[in-house]
This record gives sequence, C-alpha cells and structure tokens, in this order.
Amino acid sequence: MTYQLQNISILVVEDNQPMLELIKSLLVTFGVKKIVLAQNGEQGFELFRREKPDIVIADWMMKPTDGISLARRIRNDPGSPNQLVPIILMTGFSEKRRVLQARDAGVTEFLVKPFNARDLYKRLEQIIERPRQFVRSEGFFGPDRRRNRKDGYDGQLRRQTDVRQEDYDLSFESTLPQSKEQ
Amino acid sequence: MDPHYNQKPRRRAEFIMPPNTLKAKVGSGGLSDDILRKAQTLLENNTADFQPLAEMYLASLMEGIELAKSGGEEQDDEYVISTMMYPAMQLKANGGMFQYPLISAIADKLIHFLEVINEPDIEAVEIVLAFHTTTRAVVMGRIKGDGGTHGKELLYALNQACSRYFEKSK
Repeated sequence: MTYQLQNISILVVEDNQPMLELIKSLLVTFGVKKIVLAQNGEQGFELFRREKPDIVIADWMMKPTDGISLARRIRNDPGSPNQLVPIILMTGFSEKRRVLQARDAGVTEFLVKPFNARDLYKRLEQIIERPRQFVRSEGFFGPDRRRNRKDGYDGQLRRQTDVRQEDYDLSFESTLPQSKEQ
Repeated sequence: MDPHYNQKPRRRAEFIMPPNTLKAKVGSGGLSDDILRKAQTLLENNTADFQPLAEMYLASLMEGIELAKSGGEEQDDEYVISTMMYPAMQLKANGGMFQYPLISAIADKLIHFLEVINEPDIEAVEIVLAFHTTTRAVVMGRIKGDGGTHGKELLYALNQACSRYFEKSK
C-alpha cells in the first residue's frame, strides 16, 4: 500500500519556467494527477482561490508577489478559501535568519534548493504524517513553530542522540540540509 | 500553580488542530523506493538548458557589480550588496537542479562572502567579478557535475581569494 497522491491537488508557484516544469514532472512521477501551475504570487493566489488545492509549493523570490507575501496572503486574507493549507517554500537561502522569516510568514515547510527527489518527498511526507497545529495570536496566524512533542519520558536526557527541548522548539530548522563543506 | 502566574491574560493564543484531510485522502504507506528512484532519475536526466537562465542571472550579477563600481558616497551599501546577492542566490538554487552542482557550490561561496563583507569596496567587487568570471566559464564550458579536480581547484582558489580579502582588511 502506498500513498494515493492522485487524490490530492497541488498548486506550484514558480517564476522560472524550466523549474516549474521540473517540479511538475517530479509530482507526476510521485502520482499526483492534478497539478496547478502559476508563475508568480499574484497569479498563484488567484488560482489558489479558484482551485482550492490541498498543498501549495511556492518559490520565495518572484515578482510582483513573492512566495513570502503569498504565504501571508493565504494565511490572512479574508478571501483565502483555506487559511490552513500546508505551504512548502522553496529557496536557495538556508541561513537561520531566512528560515525564521519564512516561518513567521506562516510557511509550513522549507525546501532548500537545489534539492533532490527524496527531499521533496520528505516535505510532502512531513505535512501528511506530522501536520502542524496552528496558532492564532495577536500579530500571527500560522503553523505552530514547534512540532508535537512525542509523549513519554519527561526525565533528564543523557544520550547524545536525545533531542533537547530547545532543539524541539526550533524544529522548523530541521528542514534545513546539514551544512557540508563544498 | 496558575498558568498565568495569577495575572489576568491580556491576550490569548488560540491553538487549532486542523483535521488531517490530506492523510484521509492519500492513505498510508509513503512512496516506494522505486518511485523515488524514477523521480531522481528524471531529475538527473532532465534536458532543460540551464545556459539561458544562467546567462540571465550572470547579467543581473554584472549589473550589481557595475552598480558597486560606480558607487558614490551616498550609495546604500546594503542595497548594492543585495543586487549581487539575489542573482548569486538564484545561481546557487538553480545550478544544482539542472546538473550544474559546481555552479551551486561556487554561488554558495559567493553568498557566504557577500553575507559578511562590511561594504562593497573595490577589492570586494574584484572578488565578486572573479566569481562571475569563473561561473561564466563553467556555464560556457558546459562543465556539468562537480567539475572533478578542476572544480575543486576553482573552489579552492575562490576561497583563498576571499580569505586574503579578510586578511588584508584586518
């Protein structure tokens, strides 16, 4: 039994046409049948309203409306048909500052380019298997920055592989690739 | 103990757990390794020509370089750096997607350099120009993959140039 991705629709927003085609091909290979394509955030939002996709994948840097603005609009615009939709933001940026900026805009997952097929799949798997709860407070509406903590042991952590609470609180950063010397 | 320390809450955070409609639609089991292998092969064999895109980003980087060179006292350094940073980021993001991981590696080094310089002074701009020239050579030479030993040497030389810049400015 595998994922039946033909049952969902995905909106891909990317201003680089070859990249847009490449992502579409990857999703088709994964089994997604309904893929809606847009070339900027403005067009993306219109298609989002019309098609009501299950997932949005958007590039960060686009004109006139970039991926961050699109995410904010999806989360906050009264005309948004689904403020809770999972949003995967693609970008070449990988520094913490940028990740936090994306997180604060209401992005669900962060996908650093260049990526491979498994990286994209992992983001999809994350939003299917471990969806984030949402937080609404003054000045912010979007996915909780923390993922649900695993129930169980509350005592002291002694193993090197144990995940500390502070690591957990920054779990959004786990979407970053491990830094490696090029 | 009162969770609000006996204070009256002034604002409230509401937590919403959306229904997992995605899971209900797609079911369980993930994707097979076979599908992931097919997808990766597709990525590696895609025939899209990166050269026109790269030329566009390189032209944009050159505009940033020219702007930095023409810089006067009143020029906003952060703006000037951003005009070089954004095409560098695009080169980093897209190179590796279109079988030019060496371009991603070179652009990544350039981004790291641009992230730490104080100002786009003439020596810094010369280094950005060296990055531009090297990237252009890789694109024109259609050096796909990591470039092997030559690729490593190019990265090493660019790294050394950046290190020398900071040594000099100590």
